[in-house]
Amino acid sequence: MTITRAWMMLLVLSTASTALAASGMHGAPFVVAVLALAGAKAHIILARYLGLAAAPSILAGFDLSLAVVLILFMGLALAA
Amino acid sequence: MKYQSQKIALAYFLVAMVLFAVQVSLGLVLGWIYVDGTFLSEILPFNVGRMLHTNSLIVWLLLGFFGAAYYLIPEESEREIHSPKLAYLQLAIFVLGTAGVVVTYFFNLFEGNFLLGREGREFLEQPRWVKAGIVVAALIFLYNVSMTVLSGKKTAITNILLLGLWGLALLFLFAFVNPANLALDKMYWWYVVHLWVEGTWELVMASILAFLMLKLTGVDREVVEKWLYVIAALALFSGILGTGHHYYWIGTPGYWQWIGSIFSSLEVVPFFAMMAFAFVMVWKGRRDHPNKAALLWSLGCATLAFFGAGVWGFLHTLHGVNFYTHGTQITAAHGHLAFYGAYVCLNLAIISYAMPHLKGRDPYNQVLNMAAFWLMSGGVVFMTFTLTFAGTVQTHLQRVLGMSYMEVQDQLWVFYAMRFGSGVAVVLGAVLFIYAILVPRREVVTPGPLERDRLAHDADHVAAE
Amino acid sequence: MTEQAGERPSVLDQLPGELMMWVLIVSELLVFGAGLAAFLAVRITDPAGFSEAQSHLHRAGAGVNTIVLVTSGWLAAHAVCAAEAGRARRLRGLIAGAIALGAVFLVLKGMEYADLAAAGISFETHAFFTFSYLLTGFHAAHVVAGMVLLAVVAVPASPRAVETGAAFWHMVDLVWVLLFPVIYLL
Repeated sequence: MTITRAWMMLLVLSTASTALAASGMHGAPFVVAVLALAGAKAHIILARYLGLAAAPSILAGFDLSLAVVLILFMGLALAA
Repeated sequence: MKYQSQKIALAYFLVAMVLFAVQVSLGLVLGWIYVDGTFLSEILPFNVGRMLHTNSLIVWLLLGFFGAAYYLIPEESEREIHSPKLAYLQLAIFVLGTAGVVVTYFFNLFEGNFLLGREGREFLEQPRWVKAGIVVAALIFLYNVSMTVLSGKKTAITNILLLGLWGLALLFLFAFVNPANLALDKMYWWYVVHLWVEGTWELVMASILAFLMLKLTGVDREVVEKWLYVIAALALFSGILGTGHHYYWIGTPGYWQWIGSIFSSLEVVPFFAMMAFAFVMVWKGRRDHPNKAALLWSLGCATLAFFGAGVWGFLHTLHGVNFYTHGTQITAAHGHLAFYGAYVCLNLAIISYAMPHLKGRDPYNQVLNMAAFWLMSGGVVFMTFTLTFAGTVQTHLQRVLGMSYMEVQDQLWVFYAMRFGSGVAVVLGAVLFIYAILVPRREVVTPGPLERDRLAHDADHVAAE
Repeated sequence: MTEQAGERPSVLDQLPGELMMWVLIVSELLVFGAGLAAFLAVRITDPAGFSEAQSHLHRAGAGVNTIVLVTSGWLAAHAVCAAEAGRARRLRGLIAGAIALGAVFLVLKGMEYADLAAAGISFETHAFFTFSYLLTGFHAAHVVAGMVLLAVVAVPASPRAVETGAAFWHMVDLVWVLLFPVIYLL
């Protein structure tokens, strides 16, 4: 994936988050979808913008931490 | 000793050890006052004893840092110290100031006097003339070491050491800022107190530890420097805004509770990094340095600093917890182990390392010194546990159940009695340390079978003589 | 002194760019992660109040700001390629574009702050605003710092400097894509 493809993916994912919010969707599906989109965006920034694609084991470490944090966020958001 | 001017360190270390003895002895007296509240109440009121205990601690640690700087900067910069005369003048100013402080605290002759009277701010009680003297001495010091480094080699160790020492001196200027508003007073007060021990002093600690690791383990300078920069960055990142953990209840806005909680939680990271650094260096290093005592103090420093400053600090740093534990014996537990681990052990490590060189002895095996380490460290660790238990009980009785302060103090007597016992061990350890550093000219222990075998078969193994 | 022969290459050596910048990036992620987790934890105590408070924010403006920042990051990433190719003019143009978009972000953010201030909303109004001001304010401060840093690295224009500056800028992006959904959308 080139930098430009990464950027276009980010635009698509960002638009998707805003569209989801605008659609009035809420509750658990919304929380999970929005945070999953955020995780996908973060992954792309780490891999392509910050160049971690060249260091797969480090990228995997970041992805794992990111997943743990986002699951924590989901849990906290759903508890409210 | 490669450079003549390293000898300056000897004078600094000697004065530091005298004050160390004073500090722990006063600690013992204070420990007994906790057991028997009327002890010496006429001659040495608790508040005066406490001022002397804390002030002498700070001064001897600073003198130790200065001594360490005078010892290691010539070796790092490959230059003699710019002016040994100025270095001794600086020490003389410190000694004079210390004597002035003791007289002022003891006899309180000039109460309320702008220049001569004690100032009454915890830890910064020194009269203004002494504070001015400290600034003058600090300027002399900074001029002296900066000139040396500027004319010589600049290494990561000298860079971080100078950064820490300059920061330390500049932040002390906030000791002169004393607004009438108590909240503002405290706000500036922490610029000195917190940003010293959880900011600039950490840089000094990391650089001295790096120097020791370089010498004791023989790991490549490049590796040591990388660690040092990372540790320094982590310390500043977490420590500066970590000041917020002192702004919970002094009248500053509520958002400090979150800034303080989050950043100060991260303060454990640089201490963990220092511990990892020390152990990784020893593990990677192949040099079998004969000065086992210096290595023991270095590793003890990194480990106990991690527990005392890192873990025991984190224990009560979140504002939800601190709301209950604030100002209880939990704080005292943290304060004792953190200062001991981070800064006392560090100074004793560099003293243990430098003294054989300064006194022109071969590195010897320093069995007594190592015994002092275990005695003192055991004492402080036990003290930390007793105070932690005392603080837990105190928090529950006083802050949760709402019992009155003095009523709770009665309940804590048994912990204070045990703490006094641990204090005895610390003082004995300190005396043993000073004796071991100054007196024995030769300390020969006949090698046992294991050691004999290593000496015979391991080419890297150096005999401790 | 003997050194270890044939030392194992460290995983850290694979890191692209400056190690110190990665230390900073991870530290910042920890801080913002902890802040957002604390925000969500406190939200449990008053979901209705939080959702009412959230309605005062500019959700659409923040959505546009996401687009602005990732586009700015895209320019910065291209600037690194230009620096590596030795094309200084192109590199400076791209950096200027990235900085300009940073300014757009700050203008949109400033409009939101102005409206909140006009409505008499401050740090102390509600726990929601304590967090939203702290987290977005802290982030905005990083945007300012990132703009300065980008301008600074564009002067020597060495690949290493530009890569380091751009890495900081991407961290600002990264924090925003995590912060935006939690504060503005949930």
